[in-house]
Amino acid sequence: MTIVEISTGRRHTIEISSVESHEFKFLGKNRYFFDWNIEKNQEVYKLCMTESSDILGLISLERIPSEWRIHIRLLTVSTENKGNEKKYDKIAGNLIAHAAKIAVAEFGEFACVSLRPKSQIAQHYIDKYDMSVTGMTLSIEVPEILNLINYYDHG
Amino acid sequence: MDRKKNIIRVEDAEYGVDSRYKSNKERESDASALLEKRLIKMGYLPKNQIIRAKLMQLKFKMDDYLKEPVYDGQNYFSKFLETYIDTIYSKRSGFAKDIDITPVRLSQVINNHREPKDEFIMKLMIHSERVYTNVCEFHKKTWFQVYFHEKICDTMSRQEEWLPKIGKHVKISESMV
Repeated sequence: MTIVEISTGRRHTIEISSVESHEFKFLGKNRYFFDWNIEKNQEVYKLCMTESSDILGLISLERIPSEWRIHIRLLTVSTENKGNEKKYDKIAGNLIAHAAKIAVAEFGEFACVSLRPKSQIAQHYIDKYDMSVTGMTLSIEVPEILNLINYYDHG
Repeated sequence: MDRKKNIIRVEDAEYGVDSRYKSNKERESDASALLEKRLIKMGYLPKNQIIRAKLMQLKFKMDDYLKEPVYDGQNYFSKFLETYIDTIYSKRSGFAKDIDITPVRLSQVINNHREPKDEFIMKLMIHSERVYTNVCEFHKKTWFQVYFHEKICDTMSRQEEWLPKIGKHVKISESMV
């Protein structure tokens, strides 16, 4: 899995791993939009470049086995990677693909990842990640979820 | 002003997405509508996509298994093999035929009555490399890794059983200093 440095087009390999409890105090609003301490008891993952401890993106997940679903609670890239001036591309995509991998590993052909973004940004997720709409919820299932995983695994 | 606000939001669509449910009512109403729609979609899911999903699930389970030692005495190699075969074939004898072994031999490996030979794992390696071409990335060494990982974990977890007996037959007769 890689992210792309916008200025050079260079790809950097990344690792996604669980946030350690001592790290939450460094994940404040200034760089990561939320105070991630509130998610301390949730399943939270960080994205870093290989051999770097600098966190470029975060995702918090809720497993809902009764519905074969992983729900994304919070998602963010670090502040320098937002908008048109971002330094690296594909951070959020890799984090969503990570959630998708957990869903497929847990639920196989029933796998689903859901997200409930504000309506202004919903179209972005529909266009970019092939998500579908049900009421206020966006979701991705088989077969699109498998394509998403492969895209970010090979990217 | 509102329009400008909206433009900024869309540009920052991946910065600070709060998707938490605000109430149980919200969660329940979303869940039932979503599940209903998904069940309809699943009903039309082609068989090849179901197989693709199951094979990807198997790959992730094998990858997870290899991440750390597991000392629970279960036979992971044969369990994964059984899932692999049953995902693709309607009858296990079909797989046996495809890798040129007898159904009896295959059954013995799956049921842990016989250890798989190197040649068996090599055939399995070739078979799965071909099968996974249209599914996802699958490293050809995975089956061997699973097999030896299980061997190592099993041996280490049973040290109390074998160490006293085997240890009696081990000595170092050469001076090391």
